[in-house]
Amino acid sequence: MKHSELTFQAIVEATPNAIILVNKEGRIAYANHQTEKLFGFNRIELISKKVEMLIPGRYHEHHPSFRSQFFAAPETRAMGSGRELFAMRKDKSEFPVEIGLNPLVTVEGTMVLVSIIDITARKKAEEQFRLVVESAPNAMILANKNGVITLINAQTEKLFGYQRKELIGKKLEILIPKNFSENHPHLRESFFKTPSVRAMGVGRELYAIRKDGTQFRVEIGLNPIETDEETVVLASIIDITERKKHEVMLALELKNKELEQFNYIASHDLQEPLRTVSNYIQILEEDFSGLLNNEAKSHLQTISRATLRMRMLVRTLLEFSRLGQNKKMVSLDCNKIVKDVVADLNSLINATQTTILIEELPIIQGSEIEIMQLFLNLINNAIKFRKKDTSPEIRIACNKNSNGHFEFYVTDNGTGIDSKYFNRIFQIFQQLDAGQQIEGYGIGLANCKKIVEMHGGKIWVESELGKGSTFKFTIETV
Amino acid sequence: MSMKVHCIMLVDDNKDDNFFHKRVITKNEAADVVVIKESGEEALEYLRKNQEDSLHPHPDLIFLDINMPKMNGWEFIEEYKKLDKEFQSKMVVVMLTTSENPDDRIFAKKEDIIADFRTKPLTKEMLDEILTQFYSL
Repeated sequence: MKHSELTFQAIVEATPNAIILVNKEGRIAYANHQTEKLFGFNRIELISKKVEMLIPGRYHEHHPSFRSQFFAAPETRAMGSGRELFAMRKDKSEFPVEIGLNPLVTVEGTMVLVSIIDITARKKAEEQFRLVVESAPNAMILANKNGVITLINAQTEKLFGYQRKELIGKKLEILIPKNFSENHPHLRESFFKTPSVRAMGVGRELYAIRKDGTQFRVEIGLNPIETDEETVVLASIIDITERKKHEVMLALELKNKELEQFNYIASHDLQEPLRTVSNYIQILEEDFSGLLNNEAKSHLQTISRATLRMRMLVRTLLEFSRLGQNKKMVSLDCNKIVKDVVADLNSLINATQTTILIEELPIIQGSEIEIMQLFLNLINNAIKFRKKDTSPEIRIACNKNSNGHFEFYVTDNGTGIDSKYFNRIFQIFQQLDAGQQIEGYGIGLANCKKIVEMHGGKIWVESELGKGSTFKFTIETV
Repeated sequence: MSMKVHCIMLVDDNKDDNFFHKRVITKNEAADVVVIKESGEEALEYLRKNQEDSLHPHPDLIFLDINMPKMNGWEFIEEYKKLDKEFQSKMVVVMLTTSENPDDRIFAKKEDIIADFRTKPLTKEMLDEILTQFYSL
């Protein structure tokens, strides 16, 4: 043996990998000690045998042509990039491998030095990692530096509505709404510059997009993972739509409660000084009448009137704030409710010669006192805002709208309402016709609005000045 | 014709109301004496002391406010219940308050001690009704 051959052998024997030398015909010219250990063959059993003895049978057919290709253009490279490679031991058991190919020019012609690494342990670790990701309760996505998705779990399929095969190999940006995805590659780059475990987009609201184009709020955790080849990122994604909704609801509920409490306390405490004013006016009138001239008495009466009106306003506010505070939803026959309301208004109806036509009404889920008050207010208004010389005609009916909810309407032949007031009439203390001195304190329709909204519905008016009005409201069908 | 009792007690922290209510009582000659206490504690102290020595006019009728600082009307009732039962039976307690809170009204109905629940201000008509209801034997 030449000196150089000895040196070569010494090096090859010392490496921790299995190394074999294969000639153009695919025969093994040399195998090191590691190869014996890895494959369970004795060196003598290998030398000058076809290399296919180390390869599972199913690859035998194509292997010779791959070999020819290598020798046609010999270069140092990994074997079968992108494919999973398996080797076979003497006992026919298989194991996953990674193989490096190096052309080697010898006196016997060009050969290939094959370096074989057993990657069973790595594959097992990868499989365990895959299983952990798969069983995670969150959507998890593994992506590389270029943003290409390499792994997803079942939760990801469920959350985004994609099949696994539709996402693997695609860019991450497919899952990000357009207005965010443009900047995403840049953000990804900066993550990979200093990879660390952190939440994505701190301080920003993050959205994701499903296959069907719908967007939803998410929270995303990022974990860099070092693999043999590169750093990748594992993103854990949580749909926080429900949580956000819940948070908003809670905040709203709290605000409403605070507001009602404030309203109640304010209106309650306002009553006291007002009553005191009334009381002391009474004392002046009763005990000091002789000391006051007619002008002073007239001023006292004005104070008294204003105080009374203020008390009415405060009381109305109080009633508004208490509306629905103890509501109990029960099954209500609207035919009976309206009949009762009409009976209550009997004297007003007779005095004004009002005719009321009631069509078949449904049974709804509602709070009895509030629904009664709703109809009472609407019928009362229809009579109150009648034309001077026309007796009121009111029609009450109900349809089902396109959403399947009940749509009630109360139509009158009264004065009608200018369209610029359509919204204002439902606000508290907005009396349009103050000049006409019609009693009431501008709260009826505000109450109606609150009641309808309590029942998950909407109220609005359709009207034309001089041509009567139709008040419509919806009630959710349960 | 108006009825009359010996003593009426007003328990209310509002001095203006006390003045006005006392005036209505005296003007209508509904009581010989009006005792005014501006807190539940003071009223209780008066009653407890009187239970022992009977030195002061004994209230036949108590008008009790609900919303008062420190001991409110409801807390007063709890303490009042601890007084001697026979002593209690010589008095009628009527809630007289600004409260239009239906909860208070419902609460008052459940409370045996409270004979009636009225909204301020006290009027001649109210006095007549209450006295007729509880003192015409």
